[in-house]
Amino acid sequence: MSAHSHVDGHLPHEPEKATLEGRNKILGFWLFLGGETVLFGTLFSVYLALRDQVLDGKPAHELFSLPLTALATLLLLTSSLTSVFAVHALHKLDNKALIKWLVVTVLLGIAFLILEIYEFYHYVHEGHGFTTSAFSSSFYTLVGFHGAHVAFGIVWISMIIRQLSKKGLTVVTAPKVYVAGMYWHFIDVVWVFIFTVVYLMGKVV
Amino acid sequence: MASNHTTTEESNKRHRVEGPKKHVIAFIFSLVLTLIAFAAVIGGEINKDFIYIILIGTAVLQVFVQMAFWMHMKDRGHQYAIIGILGGVVVVITMVVMAEYWVWW
Repeated sequence: MSAHSHVDGHLPHEPEKATLEGRNKILGFWLFLGGETVLFGTLFSVYLALRDQVLDGKPAHELFSLPLTALATLLLLTSSLTSVFAVHALHKLDNKALIKWLVVTVLLGIAFLILEIYEFYHYVHEGHGFTTSAFSSSFYTLVGFHGAHVAFGIVWISMIIRQLSKKGLTVVTAPKVYVAGMYWHFIDVVWVFIFTVVYLMGKVV
Repeated sequence: MASNHTTTEESNKRHRVEGPKKHVIAFIFSLVLTLIAFAAVIGGEINKDFIYIILIGTAVLQVFVQMAFWMHMKDRGHQYAIIGILGGVVVVITMVVMAEYWVWW
């Protein structure tokens, strides 16, 4: 069982950075996040350029509901905190707590996603479809891309939870958890700009 | 070697003790900034440009806090992370300025 000795509490202090592969993964992921910044930045710039082109559709301030946005923000912000707790459990080499916090993170992500699906459904019924206006197209593209990232993160972290419960915390699984945590924070950071630029600025008349 | 070992152990311990508290403070700070942004919009009676400044200011500040504390960017050994993200931000600012000021002129 020597191959499993590091599972029994003999893991290094920061297991996600213990191997070269782990360190390279984290570095590569930072560069990926730089690319993601550009992706969302271009979507934001398109939205900013087109947000007043509403044609016959409703303008932003008649469409958006601030309580809904506030609830979505609270859910995602809290999920970012629980993923920090997950990485903290990782550094304490506590696999049980790690899995627990990741499950909470995923559940909050699912709640956020359900809220967003309800919101889009509601807008479409109010006559705000994808092809209604340049405003609606750029709105759905930007917010929908973020929602797709949340959905991807939920699937990804769920798979990591499964791997952690089967294989435990090792120098192989630790970088995956750490990188998924970075991804989740990034999704939260993008949401900060979405609720500011799209919803709050949309409400300022 | 032995002294070296104890130093890592100590810093390890410190990290464990300070860790969650610091993150909860970052969370509360984020919540307060979010509240300020929402209040500025709901309050509504102030000048539009002033509201925009408050909104952008609180958003940038909140992202800065989250990246520094939750994504550990303030910690040592994150130079490449900063280069990666800043590279993206430079492109983004260029795109946004272009979209806001060139498209409808």
